[in-house]
Amino acid sequence: MHNAVRLQTEDFSVDAELAELRASSLRMGGIATFVGCARDFSEGREVSEICFDAYDRMAVTEMNQLRDEAVSKFNLLDARIVHRIGVVSAGEQIVLIVTGAEHRAPALQACSWLIDNLKQRVPIWKKEISVQGESWITSHP
Amino acid sequence: MIRILFFGPIVERVLQREMQFEFKIGMRLKDVTETLQARYPEAFQIVCTTAVNQVQTRDMEYPLADYDEIAFMAKFSGG
Repeated sequence: MHNAVRLQTEDFSVDAELAELRASSLRMGGIATFVGCARDFSEGREVSEICFDAYDRMAVTEMNQLRDEAVSKFNLLDARIVHRIGVVSAGEQIVLIVTGAEHRAPALQACSWLIDNLKQRVPIWKKEISVQGESWITSHP
Repeated sequence: MIRILFFGPIVERVLQREMQFEFKIGMRLKDVTETLQARYPEAFQIVCTTAVNQVQTRDMEYPLADYDEIAFMAKFSGG
């Protein structure tokens, strides 16, 4: 059993997170999933790796707050947020958000709301590594 | 003692992740901020969020207490 909200250096299993979400309630009729991945191309440069830094204690606190807000706002049955830190190679998974509700609409809306707000509110920073050099990213596409 | 933390792009401009300030009675957030701004102007060009004890604040008159933890942070870019 993993914490529903966490930062970790290692990769995560979407199937395992979905299984834990589904185990939390038999009333779940809709589950939405977002997986953010490391692209190998950004702003005209080939990217080999992305390095993530985080204010870990504040980040986890904020992620838990976001989860609580989403559960309340969208009447979710459960939600999970996992974000990797450290070095992530191109093509690998970065972040996972899964939301479960009685129906699909709130699950989908909550999933979108959570990733948008995570980008704005959680103290995590990413640096793209390419053969042309390293660059900290400050935008929220 | 006040603990100061830096992360991500700020670290590359300050060249350290953490430092300490001696606590003085009556010290406010602006006292620490202004001292560090003068010392690391390039770093503070990209500081857009300040947190005291992991809570964001824009109140530069915030009264500090001994052992408080202040983080100066650039725009977030997780996800």
